[in-house]
Amino acid sequence: MTDSYVNETYLPHPPKRVWDAITDSAALEKWLMPNTFKPVMGHEFTFQTEPVLPYFDGVVHCRVTEIEPPHRLAYTWVGGPISTFVTYRLDAEGEGTRLRFEHGGFDLTDPGQQTAFEAMSKGWKDKMETKFHEVVEELAASASRG
Amino acid sequence: MPPSTPLEPEVFAAIAHPVRRQILDLLRQDERHVNAIAENFGVSRPAISQHLRILLDSGLVTERRDGRHRQYRLQADRLSEVYDWLSHYERFWTKKLAALDNYLKENE
Repeated sequence: MTDSYVNETYLPHPPKRVWDAITDSAALEKWLMPNTFKPVMGHEFTFQTEPVLPYFDGVVHCRVTEIEPPHRLAYTWVGGPISTFVTYRLDAEGEGTRLRFEHGGFDLTDPGQQTAFEAMSKGWKDKMETKFHEVVEELAASASRG
Repeated sequence: MPPSTPLEPEVFAAIAHPVRRQILDLLRQDERHVNAIAENFGVSRPAISQHLRILLDSGLVTERRDGRHRQYRLQADRLSEVYDWLSHYERFWTKKLAALDNYLKENE
């Protein structure tokens, strides 16, 4: 069983501008992450972010699987325990763009992917019975008191 | 001490279950023995023992003998690592797509 994070939004800019923002490497770095993206079918590239050791070395490995300017873009998204894909679908709406974004393929039978999906889609801190953040701070404080 | 190299799938499996999250929550206050944990849940003691075994294997919880009982204690370092990892994903795309919106506004 897999699940997807879906975000559908209206952007007051024509599809060509939105397309440039999601396919230009320098633009992608500004709003998403440093990357080696090229708008070429089959191109293998990476996103680079801060590592979160020991679970994630900070590198997301991707491959362009669909590209149809300025309407559809898809690539695989593999990093740490996550083996997934993302798709962008752009449709002109009035003077702007309807963007339908999906990050899909989370395998909910895999605990690593399930927990990441929960964090991504619903907000882990809201979802958790345990407020991990508070726990960690409390324990750090009590440890420093000896 | 927890193992120096965490067994990643075990950690994820441990925190994926709501009862085990509640056990972690309970142990944040103090170390406890199994009966003191089990009385907070509407499930059998063997079921709680099984959850504790999974938490022990994950390194999130350690145990020590105290007379006739085993006391269970939360391992803050291990919990902190997995918290950091999850925080990376917390509402990741909600934030990033808002950043895309801002980028488009600022680069008219």
